[in-house]
Amino acid sequence: MKVVGITTQQEVYVGSRERNFRINEFLIIVDPHQGDLIGEVVEARTYNKYIPLNLNGDLADSSVLQSLKAIGYNVEEDTIYIARVRLLNEAPYPVEAGSDVRIPQFSEVKDLMINCSVDEGLVLGIIKNTDQMALDMDEEYKNLLCTFEGGKIKEQKDIPYIFNIKSMNQYPHIGIFGGSGSGKSFGLRVMLEEMMNLNIPTIVLDPHFEMDFSELGDYLPKGKTIDYTDKFRCLQVGVDVGVRFEDLSPQDLKNLLDASSPLTDAMSNVVDILFKKRDSYTSFYNRVKMLAEAQEEGSLDRIARRIEESTTDLERQGWQKRKELYLNYDKSCPYSSVRGILWRVNRLYNEGIFNNDIRKIEEGLNQGKLMVIQGNTRILQVFSTYLINNLYHKRRSYKDGQFNNSSSEYFPPFVIVTDEAHNFAPKGYECPSKSILKEISQEGRKYGVFLILATQRPTLLDETITAQLNTKFIFRTVRGSDIATIKEETDITEEEARRLPYLQTGDVFISESARGRTVFARIRAAHTTSPHTENPFDELKGKLQEGDNKFYQIIKDKLPINGDDFINVIKEIESETGKTYTIGLFEEMLDNLVKKGLIIKEKTPFFNVYKDKI
Amino acid sequence: MYNVSQELKNKIMLVNKVLLDKYGEVLSMDRNALRDYINSKVGCILKIDKFTDEELKRYTNLGGILGVDGSKNRMGGAHPHFIEVYQGLAKSTLHKERPIYKVDFYTPLYSEEEETNPLEENTEEDQRISNKKLAAIEIEAALEGINAFNPYAVMMDGSLIRYKIVCSDKWQELKEECERRNIILVGIIKDIKTSIIRESIDEDGSIPIKEFFYDRELLYGLLEYGEVILTNINTKKEERGFTSLFMRSSQSPTVIGMDILNSQQSCLLEMARLVFTLTPKASRGVPLWLDIIDSEVKIPDQMIRGLLESYLDRKILEMLFISERDKRTM
Repeated sequence: MKVVGITTQQEVYVGSRERNFRINEFLIIVDPHQGDLIGEVVEARTYNKYIPLNLNGDLADSSVLQSLKAIGYNVEEDTIYIARVRLLNEAPYPVEAGSDVRIPQFSEVKDLMINCSVDEGLVLGIIKNTDQMALDMDEEYKNLLCTFEGGKIKEQKDIPYIFNIKSMNQYPHIGIFGGSGSGKSFGLRVMLEEMMNLNIPTIVLDPHFEMDFSELGDYLPKGKTIDYTDKFRCLQVGVDVGVRFEDLSPQDLKNLLDASSPLTDAMSNVVDILFKKRDSYTSFYNRVKMLAEAQEEGSLDRIARRIEESTTDLERQGWQKRKELYLNYDKSCPYSSVRGILWRVNRLYNEGIFNNDIRKIEEGLNQGKLMVIQGNTRILQVFSTYLINNLYHKRRSYKDGQFNNSSSEYFPPFVIVTDEAHNFAPKGYECPSKSILKEISQEGRKYGVFLILATQRPTLLDETITAQLNTKFIFRTVRGSDIATIKEETDITEEEARRLPYLQTGDVFISESARGRTVFARIRAAHTTSPHTENPFDELKGKLQEGDNKFYQIIKDKLPINGDDFINVIKEIESETGKTYTIGLFEEMLDNLVKKGLIIKEKTPFFNVYKDKI
Repeated sequence: MYNVSQELKNKIMLVNKVLLDKYGEVLSMDRNALRDYINSKVGCILKIDKFTDEELKRYTNLGGILGVDGSKNRMGGAHPHFIEVYQGLAKSTLHKERPIYKVDFYTPLYSEEEETNPLEENTEEDQRISNKKLAAIEIEAALEGINAFNPYAVMMDGSLIRYKIVCSDKWQELKEECERRNIILVGIIKDIKTSIIRESIDEDGSIPIKEFFYDRELLYGLLEYGEVILTNINTKKEERGFTSLFMRSSQSPTVIGMDILNSQQSCLLEMARLVFTLTPKASRGVPLWLDIIDSEVKIPDQMIRGLLESYLDRKILEMLFISERDKRTM
């Protein structure tokens, strides 16, 4: 391998007669004057001068090439391999043309490839096309993981990609971008597994109910799997966790109501006026409701009449109370706004948000566990706004307390992870969860609160937040607008951006501010599998078969069944199993079993006879 | 847009008319009649087929095929201020790593041969020497290749007769060497310049053609892919000791020619099959092997210029070999 052609300080061409090049491969250029220079292949080509691409000229057909080979001349041996190599660091002078080029040893690239130890970082996968350098790699980096290649598990041959999570202190927040099926969710899973290995307190907002780590991947060889069951917990909003109404501040409540459905200024005003500290849900709800009822009466006179007409003491007291509320608040709280608050509160209540509290989450985080919060997107938006606000401020007041000597209870640093992040922090319109995420993206680093945001539409994610994502994992992306956003927000090159639509599932460009360059990696095989991996079409087929088998079990004892006897058989079945069929349906189902080959049908002059297979 | 003068346009249209008038006869000639004529009077049209890989392997055992080609580069202006560099290459299919290069040069300013007066404008003489030198280094390369590799056959790029005409003493040496060692010597002619068919027609008189046509023109599109014409009439060539054939070796409608020593006449069809096998169907009709050698022997003009610039004294170079034309920048 030699440097050929015109060279610059940044880029050279390397030619070889024997060895083909791979993209993203590292090479060392032995410049006689400047010493060893390390570069990365950004483009690889082959060329054979005897087999040119000449659209309207001669074209050597394969039979002639074959014939030449037969008389001893192999044209294919004249193929040359050419790589465009970009130097990692600009050289002071242009590279000397004709310099020798060689493959680096592991020790020479170690600092470039690995910047943290195996047990302190996230072992996410392999750096692609590094197998030759990995031959003399230190033992500690070998056999850390397996990868999936073409549906098969492959032992680690390349240098591992280890994400230095400590670097988040300087370069906070991670973005994970990629279209559907690009390996994004699966990359997120691997990342979360690694976080559990390091016992990092983590909150995962999981709108798809997929971040369950209890099912181990059966594809991994024995002894390679890790059990995560006691390192994570799945909690459903409204069932396992919720908002304790008594803990809410007026601002919290407004956020919640706003997340449910946007509030007008008048409505926020109503909350400010009507909400009292330490209100329970019932006390607040009743106050609003009674005010509304009083306002429905329309005037003090009519309320007074209600009081007079009351038949029981309880009713009278009730109307007295309504009168008070009416006198106090009618002027400041317009009826329509009061109604608006009423149905919003009611809606949240019905969704179960006010059941339970977030204690379980706090406990989990304190134990360094991964807490998966599940619920549909809307309810998660509402709940996460409250949850993240709450936890972030707990952490904040602890940290601030350290400086101004007011002692606050310890609360650990933590990481917030979410898929479909564009739903929680959309670009272009306001949304309550966005303001807290924005705050964390900008200031979270100081308090040790970090974000990992995954989305298939980086273009739809709030720009302030995108700008704060210092590490970006970019999986296959096809949409032009998203590629443009990615190009703008990361240091990936034009050539790499062009490759984005063609990346294999699980291959990823990792653009890390901490490294200052982009790494081409492949995510490792996950230790656990998502509960959603069954193909829906397999599921349909399975369900159909299950139905057939069930029906077969029911009629098995009744065989043979005569065509004129359906009524009696159906009656029998009904009395035994409680299932009813019409004659038409029953016959259809029997015919279906015949088609599937489970039973056979014999025609007689009078009727059909269904028999068991012999 | 280019500005084209009306006169130029008219002239070109005139050329077209004149040529159409002349070649209308050929273009409208009955293809079958001519084929019949060739079959009966000139020789025979044969269909040949390609060698199989097995048959080709035989050549590997017998010493492979030696391909020979030459190239020339010229730098400078008109006589005598120019220099020509000749390069000949002989390459065996079996020893690709050992190409044999031969190089020579010529400039009228310095002549090894007879005393010529450089002041005398003598382009024809230049041409003669140029051709001779080129043929000579090709033959030298071929001879060295024969000694080095002892091939089964030698394929020259160009007609054998050319070597005999322009460089007879060296040619004699090559011919004798080949005959002595039993090495088949063939020449492959891309551009045939003969007119044997026309001559035969003139003698015979059965087909009335007024104008004079070359074989190339008469044979254009006449043969099918894989057909050859073996001539059996006495041509001038034969008198000089060669036998030749025409062949359509590719889908291109032009034909190529091959010639061989009379003493090796029996191998002509075999060599024709070999050439046919090695020629890509969709090419100009030249065996790929010769094209490969051709591309290797060629020196880019820029490289020659670079060499001369590096190794000739600047004074000499500027004074003698840089023509005004070369300095032009527009």
